Amino acid sequence: MATPSRTVSKSVLAPPAPPTQRRPYTSSVAPTRSYFNTSIGTKVLIGATGLLLFGYLILHLLGNLLVFLGPETFNSYSHLLIKNPLIVPVEIGLGAIFLVHIYKAVTNFIANRRARPVRYHRTAWTGRPSRKSLASSTMIFSGIIILVFVLIHLVQFKYGPEYVVAQGSSEAGVRDLYRLELEVFGNILNVVFYAFCMLVVGSHLWHGIASAFDSLGADHPRFTPLLLRVAKVVAAVIALGFMAIPFWVFFFARQGAVS
Amino acid sequence: MVFDDRPNRTMTLHLLVWRQPNGQTHGKMVPYTAEGISPDMSFLEMLDVVNEGLIRKGEEPIAFDSDCREGICGSCALVVNGRAHGPDGGTTVCQLHMRRFQNGDTIAIEPWRARAFPVIKDLVVDRSAFDRIIAAGGYTSISVGGAPDANTTLIPKDTVEAAMDAAACIACGACVAQCKNASAALFTGAKISQLALLPQGAAERRRRALRMVRQMDAEGFGSCSWEGQCEAVCPKGIKITNIAKMVREYNRAATTGETS
Repeated sequence: MATPSRTVSKSVLAPPAPPTQRRPYTSSVAPTRSYFNTSIGTKVLIGATGLLLFGYLILHLLGNLLVFLGPETFNSYSHLLIKNPLIVPVEIGLGAIFLVHIYKAVTNFIANRRARPVRYHRTAWTGRPSRKSLASSTMIFSGIIILVFVLIHLVQFKYGPEYVVAQGSSEAGVRDLYRLELEVFGNILNVVFYAFCMLVVGSHLWHGIASAFDSLGADHPRFTPLLLRVAKVVAAVIALGFMAIPFWVFFFARQGAVS
Repeated sequence: MVFDDRPNRTMTLHLLVWRQPNGQTHGKMVPYTAEGISPDMSFLEMLDVVNEGLIRKGEEPIAFDSDCREGICGSCALVVNGRAHGPDGGTTVCQLHMRRFQNGDTIAIEPWRARAFPVIKDLVVDRSAFDRIIAAGGYTSISVGGAPDANTTLIPKDTVEAAMDAAACIACGACVAQCKNASAALFTGAKISQLALLPQGAAERRRRALRMVRQMDAEGFGSCSWEGQCEAVCPKGIKITNIAKMVREYNRAATTGETS
């Protein structure tokens, strides 16, 4: 192995510059920030909105799984949802939660990057008891992917083709989302894209669920270790649950519909 | 004890050391070779040997902080191969010994890196941000009397232990150094938690939480992402449950109309 050079660069040998201005050991009172702009308030908001979105995800998964019960059940469920007068305020609320989560997470990410202007030459993961994982290191990226996915998902389904099918007592018929789903997931590219995005959602939840509780200050010697484990199981179940639908449609339901 | 009589059992190590003349100049990693290093030397003694060589050659020695060299003062502060205080958990870097490395290893040595910890020179950083956080509220300003007789103030054993665990902080700053966000949450949380757990400190817990968090934010530290890298490198093993405690203390203070 070649011995590295012993020479020291010129800048190191330069005559010593005037000593760095030392900052005072005591300070005047730091400016007060509004609660939601403090480091703690920011994380409380991110955690609280994250948990609400997690709750929404559970409801959305439960609703979606009705697709396995056939077109009638699924379409009447979606009809009940779409025609509910509460759906608009709920959607506005959900959108607001999304926006707060995104806005606070992005500004928080930028502030955190600025807290270390010079990066390390060499970095290492510490291992236990650290919880650092691939998921926890990529929250901002998984978040961006989820945002893009949600927009595409809305265009494909909520604002997608309005098929109508005569069903039940409704005279005008109901929106045939079952048919739309068969169509979308008849395309292997959509199946792959959705499967990938659900893995990303799972990754976001892998770190997000338990950390959201911590960000709210919820910590307990017995329940937190349990939560850390359960949260990962729940993250995996949600990701696999959502993922099951496109695969099921592509490999099973479509054939049934065609024949 | 087995006497090792093998002759000249010394190591040669390739160092990559952060050199930065002062806070106004950009620094860079500079390679050095450390020769004749005994495996029994501490990491700082190895740097002493390298520095003696540099001084003999008329070069500027590598500046680094150290004081007690027995792991209790919190002065030494080196990131060794990307890990604050080196590869061993539960110790400061002065308690790291060269037998932990293999002959011929390349070792990267860097200072704590954080906007709130500006480099003074080479591996020495200005950690006075911690002093200002403590000065903002990490004390009791009420009279709590002299040392009380034993058992006059009844505190549950678990509470005492939790407070003592938090009080073990030596303010070295490894938590900030290892955190991807350069967050001081573990340091600040440990002090807020320690004082809030004990009756002498609990009287001012709300004002303290508001002031210390405010100062922590003003210093430019990041926020907590709950990765717990801080806990893993903390030489005193301070737990991130103290950060959750800080969140609760702060929220309680912020929602009860407490003014700082």
